[in-house]
This record gives sequence, C-alpha cells and structure tokens, in this order.
Amino acid sequence: MRILVVDDQPLNCTLLKAMLEQQNYLVELASNGKQALEKLNDHSIDIVLLDVIMPVMDGFETAPLIKQQAGDVYLPIIFITALEDHQSFEKCLEVGGDDFIHKPFDKIILSAKIKAHARTRRFSQEANRQKKELEYHYNQTEREHEIVEHIFRNALSQQKNFPKICDFHLSPASMFNGDMFLMAQSPLGGFYCLLGDFTGHGLAAAVGALPASRIFYAMVAKGMAVSDIAYELNSALAELLPGHMFCAAAIIELSESGRSVSAWLGGIPDIYLIDKSGAIIKTLESQHMALGILEADEFERNIVHFEVNDTNRIVMATDGIVETGSKQGEMFGEERLKATLASRTDIGTEDIISQVQQFSGHSEQQDDLSIAIINCVANPRIINSDVSYSQLPFDFHVALNAEQMKRNDPILELVNMLSTVEGVDNHRSNIFLLLSEAYNNALDHGVLGLDSEIKNQEDGFFIFYQMREEALAKLQEAQIEISANYEPQRQHIRFTITDSGTGFHVKEDSMASLCQEHGRGVGLLNDIAHSVSYNEAGNCVELIYSLNNNPYIS
Amino acid sequence: MSLSKSASADGKTLTIQIKGKFDFNLVQSFRQAYAEVDGQTDKVIIDLRETDYMDSSALGMLLNMKKTLGESVSSITISNCRPQLKKILQISRFDKKFDID
Repeated sequence: MRILVVDDQPLNCTLLKAMLEQQNYLVELASNGKQALEKLNDHSIDIVLLDVIMPVMDGFETAPLIKQQAGDVYLPIIFITALEDHQSFEKCLEVGGDDFIHKPFDKIILSAKIKAHARTRRFSQEANRQKKELEYHYNQTEREHEIVEHIFRNALSQQKNFPKICDFHLSPASMFNGDMFLMAQSPLGGFYCLLGDFTGHGLAAAVGALPASRIFYAMVAKGMAVSDIAYELNSALAELLPGHMFCAAAIIELSESGRSVSAWLGGIPDIYLIDKSGAIIKTLESQHMALGILEADEFERNIVHFEVNDTNRIVMATDGIVETGSKQGEMFGEERLKATLASRTDIGTEDIISQVQQFSGHSEQQDDLSIAIINCVANPRIINSDVSYSQLPFDFHVALNAEQMKRNDPILELVNMLSTVEGVDNHRSNIFLLLSEAYNNALDHGVLGLDSEIKNQEDGFFIFYQMREEALAKLQEAQIEISANYEPQRQHIRFTITDSGTGFHVKEDSMASLCQEHGRGVGLLNDIAHSVSYNEAGNCVELIYSLNNNPYIS
Repeated sequence: MSLSKSASADGKTLTIQIKGKFDFNLVQSFRQAYAEVDGQTDKVIIDLRETDYMDSSALGMLLNMKKTLGESVSSITISNCRPQLKKILQISRFDKKFDID
C-alpha cells in the first residue's frame, strides 16, 4: 500500500511520512499538484493525502485531475485541511475529495481513515479485475458464437425451399435454435421434412442439428424410407448426445404424386391433418420416444401411413407453440391452436405465430417456436436431361456352360458392367429387363424345355419355378451365349442371346391378358427394345436397344 | 436383393419393401410376406424405392398376390417406383389392377 502525501510545507510532509511509515505504509512526497500528478504517473499510488492551499497547482485544481487519471478504480483523496468553514468542505467534496484530515494530525484518526479507504480501494481493484475478466470472456464467447453461427448457417444452407408445398416459421428464443426444420426432395420426387426439437434451447440444444441434418440430407438423397431415416438419426444421436439430451421429431414423406404420406413421430405434439377450412380430418399422435434415447436394438420403426388429396394440409409444431404462456399464466394450448387453424381459409404460419404472440402479450419468448404446414400436392421431380454417351464402340461376348448356369445369375453382373459405360447407367433397369427376359426364355424354354402353360394351373407359378430348379440341377450339356455390341454413331446396343436348345417359338398372340401370370415378357421386350427378331430355328434372339429417343426413359 | 416387411402402427397397413432385384428368386419369400395378412390388414403397399430391377416374373408374382388377397384388402399400392419400373408397370397396364403411386 503506497500513499502519496501532497503538501507544500516540509514539516507536514515529514510528520505524515513518519506516522505512515511507522504503520508500514510506503510513502511518496510531492509539494504541489503538478508534482503529485507526475508521481501518480510514475508510481502505483493507492491513497492521496492532498493539501488545499499550495503554489503552482492547488488541491481543488488537482483533485479532479487525479480522479481522471485514476480511471475506473477507486483512488481515495483525503484532503489535509486547517479550514473549518462548511463552504470549504463542500468545495472539497465537489472537486472529488472523499474525506478530510485536520491539522494538527491525530494519529489514530489518520490510521482509521487510511485503513477504511485502503479497504475500499482493494474492493474496487478486485471488482475492476473481475469486470475486465468478464469482458474478456464475453468477447471470447461472442467471437465463438459468431464462428459457430457461421458453421450452422453453412451447414443448413444446402436447404432448398419448396414454397408450393411447405410454409414454415422458426423463431428461436436465443441466437441458436434448438428446433430444426429440414426439407429435401428425393430422386424419386418424394418431399421429405423433419421437424425436430432438441432438449432445452440455445447453443447446447442446437449442436445436435449439425449431425442430424447431414444424416437427413444424405438419406433423402438416397430416397430411403422414413423409418430408416429415423433409425439412423436415433443411432447417431444416442451415441453423440449426453444422456439427458434427446430430440423430439416428426419425419414425414409426401409421395411424388402428393397422394400418400408416411410419418415417423417420436415425442412431438399432436400433428393435424386439416382441410382448406382448417377443420381437423385426423389427429396423429406420437407413438415413439424421442430420437436419441433408445439403443439401436430397442428402436421402433413403426410408421403411420395415410392417403391424402391436394386440399389436405399437415400442420406440425414444436411444444413451444402450445406452451406459450399469457401474462395471466395461462398456456396457449391445443384447443386454441385448433381454433386458430380454423380461423380462416388456408391459414399460414405467420397468422398462427402472430396469434400466439398476441396471446403472450408480446412478452419475451421462453422457448423456440416452430410451426410448419405442408400442402399435400404433387411434387414433380427434376429431370436432368443433359446426358452424354460414350464415343467408344465396344463388343463383348459371354458363353455360359451348364455348370455356370447353375451357379450364376449372370444378368445382374452384365448389367453392372454395362452401367460403367458413359450414359448407360440411366438405362440399367431397362437393360436388365431385356437381358433377363431373353436369358430366362433361353434357359427355361430353350435349354430346359419347360412349358409356360404350366403356369396356368392352380399354383402353377410356384410349380413352374420348382420344376425349373429341378431341371437345372440335372442339366449336363448346354450353352447360352450372350453378346453385346455398341455403336456410338446410332447409340444402339445390339444384344444377341443364343441357346443350345432346339429352339422354341413365340406365340403370335404375345400380349397376354392382364389376368394371366405369364406371357407378359415378350410384350415388354417389344415395347422397350427398338427391335426384337428371332432366327428361324428359334434359338437366337437379337435385341436392339436405343439409348437416345427412348420414350421409356424420363 | 432382399425383402423386408413392416406393419404400420395401427396394424392396418402392411408394407413390403424390396431391395435391389425383384425377380423369381424372391418367389418364396414374397409369397410368405403376404401370407400373413390377417383380418386387421386393410391395405398392402409394395414399396419399390430401393428396387433397381424387375422383370416379368415380378409382374407375375404381383398378380399372384392380387389373386390370393382378393377382396380381403381394400387396396394394393405399388409405391415409389423409379421411372423405368413405372413404365414397365404402365406398359403391362398394371395401373388397372393396382394403385401405382
């Protein structure tokens, strides 16, 4: 503790110095205000004893400058005075004085005052230190939040909007949203959305949105079923989140045609299927626990499934909506939500949110509020027509003997090989169908000599495949050759399938009636291939498949 | 190639999902999948979202199912078909006997 004594009278200085040093204080001396300010600059001073009347710069002038120099930390100024009038005392206080000590000095009073002010100074120093620390941490947190916010923004920015299908509103209670709403379209055109509500709100609740959104988008891109998406999300969240955290969620798929809905619902408030007027057609309750609680082997995949039409709408919200409180402590509740839905035709989420806010008296939001309305309309998929085809001509030839026919199912392997050729992958289902029909005809009828008529008997379909299996097991000498030839100019693939059988003939009336379980293959071949021709013996078929101008590719 | 089935929460809908290739190799397991349809089941969905390939034997199996189940279910839907498979079903006029979504 260092005390600065400012007095122009050497006697006073000496006296005070002696008294203070006796009490183990360090003492600096100055003989006027100007010198005092210099000393304050050079030394860390804790208390100033300041005379009023001095040459160069007197006490009244000096005091405010000392306070200014001291900044935020309390630096006590005790005036040394012989003055007795009230006006002078007032002036001392006005310029920033904290206390007085009278001449002649009383050792005990001086000691008491110094101790009291020293204590206050220490508190002030401590408070200042804590304030600086807080400021530092606050800035640090702000900076970290900015970084995290940036990551969140980018992670969720791949989200596309579907204004025709989906109207949604999210309002987080703090900077980070513990609710998430994800949307995506599958390659088959189905519209998927996920409304999730993590335990709590703020950053801690929001972190789970990162892995969850990645999984959701990846699985929708593969066109997976909602039950599989729920399963994956549950496994990932159960592993990542601490035990007390989980995610209530609704995962919904609306088919491309807009006619059917599948939903997995866990721990989320009731979801409503409404009509245009807002009347409730169906209430869907959650059947499952929230995501991230159950172990993978305990997880339940059951979904709800229902048919919809283009006037139907699905309304889903997190519990923040129904649990919003009014100033009277009442909750918004399900009944009010239902009444709001029916309050006008084709209600939008903004209308609902504004009614909720009005109910709460626009008080500070306690939880994240999220609501989404899905219009059950068709959602045609985006067709990428920009395909290029390989310029390399190629040929391949495969010959299978009896053993290979027993052991292998060669068609899928051939289709996979062909699919690696540029531009062919889009056609793999069609090529599979062509080769499968032709190969199975060659094997069943050409090589094994089975008659399709068997399929017309009672249970004939199963009998046929049983007979096929038995005949195949006994087969000894046989061959089926498959060759493919690609012409880049015409973008045609020519397939020939030749079997070692005696040949069989395709009936003229090849398009079977709809009720018959067989005979459909030939018709399909004719429709999907550019041309189909058989040799005279009936043991060789040539199929030409066109990669361009194919009406069966979209 | 595999087949899985699941019932909806209310037990009214049976979903049969086929992965990879839908052809005669599934003849037994496909029959078993719908053999268990009971009085409670009202609707069957054949979910082809993960089916890459099918041929005429699959069509035969679907018709067999339709015959077996008859009027015991109110609808059989073939859903989530890839475009080429949808075309195959359309060429075969399956839209007259099945609900193709």
